[in-house]
Amino acid sequence: MRLETRRLLDRAFSGLGVIAIGVMALALIVILTPIIVKGSGAFVFRSTVEHRKVMFDQWDRGNPQRIEADKAAAAEARQPVYDMLSAFDAELKAMPRKERSLYKKPLRELEKALAELLGPVPGEHTPVLIRQQYGATRWDRAKIKLDELLYTEDWDYSNPDALGVLVKTPRVEQFRGTALEPLFAYIKENISAMMRPRWTFYWQFLFDTSKDSHIFGGIGPEVLGTIYLTLGAMIFAIPMGVIAAIYLCEYSREGRVVSFLRICISTLAGVPSIVFGLFGLAFFLNTIHISNSKSVLAGSLTLSLLILPTVIRASEEAILAVPHSYKEAALSLGSGRWHTVMTVILPAALPGILTGTVISMGRAAGETAPIIFTAAVSVGRPLMPLEALSQPTPALPWNIYNLSTEHEAVDEIRHVQFGMVFTLVALVLLLNLFAIVMRARISKKLRG
Amino acid sequence: MSANTSRLKRFGALLGQSLLFLVTSLSTLTVFFIFYFIARDAVPFFKLEGFREFFTSSSWYPTGHPAEFGARAIFFGTGIVTLGAVVVAVPLGVSAAVCLSDVLPFNVRQVVKPVIEILAAIPSVAYGFFALVVFAPLLQNKGGAVLAIGAWLILAPVLALLVVVVSDLTADRFSDLMRHKVRWILILLLGGAALAGMIALGRHLNSIEIISGANALNVAVILGIMALPTVVSVSEDALQATGRELREGSYALGATRAETILKTVIPASISGILAAVILGIMRAIGETMVVWMASGNAARIPEPWYNMLEPVRTLTATIAGDMGEADHVTGSARFHVLFAMALCLLAFSFIMNLVSEGIVRHSRKKLGK
Repeated sequence: MRLETRRLLDRAFSGLGVIAIGVMALALIVILTPIIVKGSGAFVFRSTVEHRKVMFDQWDRGNPQRIEADKAAAAEARQPVYDMLSAFDAELKAMPRKERSLYKKPLRELEKALAELLGPVPGEHTPVLIRQQYGATRWDRAKIKLDELLYTEDWDYSNPDALGVLVKTPRVEQFRGTALEPLFAYIKENISAMMRPRWTFYWQFLFDTSKDSHIFGGIGPEVLGTIYLTLGAMIFAIPMGVIAAIYLCEYSREGRVVSFLRICISTLAGVPSIVFGLFGLAFFLNTIHISNSKSVLAGSLTLSLLILPTVIRASEEAILAVPHSYKEAALSLGSGRWHTVMTVILPAALPGILTGTVISMGRAAGETAPIIFTAAVSVGRPLMPLEALSQPTPALPWNIYNLSTEHEAVDEIRHVQFGMVFTLVALVLLLNLFAIVMRARISKKLRG
Repeated sequence: MSANTSRLKRFGALLGQSLLFLVTSLSTLTVFFIFYFIARDAVPFFKLEGFREFFTSSSWYPTGHPAEFGARAIFFGTGIVTLGAVVVAVPLGVSAAVCLSDVLPFNVRQVVKPVIEILAAIPSVAYGFFALVVFAPLLQNKGGAVLAIGAWLILAPVLALLVVVVSDLTADRFSDLMRHKVRWILILLLGGAALAGMIALGRHLNSIEIISGANALNVAVILGIMALPTVVSVSEDALQATGRELREGSYALGATRAETILKTVIPASISGILAAVILGIMRAIGETMVVWMASGNAARIPEPWYNMLEPVRTLTATIAGDMGEADHVTGSARFHVLFAMALCLLAFSFIMNLVSEGIVRHSRKKLGK
């Protein structure tokens, strides 16, 4: 091979590696960007007057006078719409029966679309479901609802070779020549006077309970449940893991037993997370009946088994990283082995152990599969600490799954789903960031 | 008196040590607990239904009358998704690891490492959510374009490299006078052919319409990204472990960096890289949320079998999805079949783990460490 070719190959080879790393970074950006951008939309968004009504009615938030003024202004802008509707009603009554029946279905659809945008017609009886008591609470949803109001959507399957094509026709066509004809132009013109959008920072999203299966409100019970599960897992995993690491590093002699224990640990690390979930169900719930139903306790125990190998390994590494001279100095001063471990080695290894446990905390917080059968429910109230022993809880990872696949109005609550994912990812990444910073400080300390 | 105290002390130390040993073995023996309790609930299934149907039939109708428990399609789903993940993760992961350990300077490495750590730290449900809510609609609406762009991104650099190298190697066979001309002619010819092929392929891919975005391809790509951090960090460790002497020896013989890595470093650390691949496979096989959310969950073998654009169903997703419906009838075959699947997963991951441990130990011995 000629030298130039070899050089070219060499450069191309390095290039491939750089491309691979670039792809990895790109993947990270592509995955995190929508989560961060749309997720922060659950906290910071343009709220409509309906949102402020929800906040005032359900959570007693906001200044009553200002809310009243807000509501009055919106109602004033909306009044012409209802006037037009009643004018159309009168017109209908005057029509012959046959013509009237033609308008029946379009009118019903229009009224439904209007209710989704603006809420129920004032003066009529209040619907039972909370979601039907209010219109669109978010400006972005309001614009979608407006679009649904202005246009009817149909799928055109006339071409058998291709997929169906979406056809949008203005709804106004159905009401040509009636009192409702100007309604559509009016709503389009005055939508912002009717909804009064305003930028809002809804930080209470993190702490509020949800109303009407997550259509309103926040993710408080889920956040609390995740914290319970994570802390519970750490309570069991840290003592076990650290003791095991102390034994493996300081007490055991390398031999058959220890290498057997190590194989067990690495096998435990390789067990798929869903199998942990099944084990938790079969052992903690069905065999020793730790609680009557799913509970935070059972979930925490299952999670603690899952992160145990990580905690053991991290603690082992931290203990082994303590300089040998520390230990020798302590032993030469006449302190016993146990005393050395407790007063010299553990304090020196503590930051390292903490780093490892913080990382496994992130893992425990984000795991879904082990808690499906042992701890998680879709809807629930926030638990008191003692109730955690016997009660199941909603938790962020499970509810992300649940809301994005099994909820009856998946598209309506995209912002809640993204908000949950954002919260979970932010929680996990903050824990990891903490660990990364801490590790950098430790390595500086050990080097200097 | 003093003999008594010292005996007491020794006894205490012994007691403490055995207590430590007890806790340690308790936490490690959990593995056996897991095996026992999964197997205990899996055995009734095999007693009720036997082995044959479970492993050979692919009709999965656990609620039918009579119920059918053919899991072949589900095993296949797990297999194809994992294979796809390996195809994504291994080339990317190994080249990134090589780049990290041998090419990039130290301070760039310090920036890249956290990227890998963050990729590893993102919870699987977040990946699943991304696959379901962002990636699947993208594939469904612009599937052809996504495929075409993907193919271009992967094939264009590889083909360009191949063209140049092949024409260089061929030109070497000609005499000095001809060489330059032959080389350029070959580059133009081969490059034109490759470009034409790429365009044809891109057109073909662009015309594909994907019926459902929740399919094997989607899941395989996401699982590949999830397995990447494992593959990168383990194989980087393996590459680092080969040491400087080997590399310096190769450089001293006049090899370029690429030749050193390809002919010396990678062969020396091949077992470590293999262990990395196995760990990546284990991560992909055991993953639940992504496949449950975004694989489409259809328990049948696609036609033809390598068609990644069809929905599939995996073992983990079946366990997660069916347990909710099965668990109020504890004791039925429908409940126990899920434990049978878990037992298969467990056995597979156990064997894989032993293999990778064995490989690592063997290679350590070989490298004399």
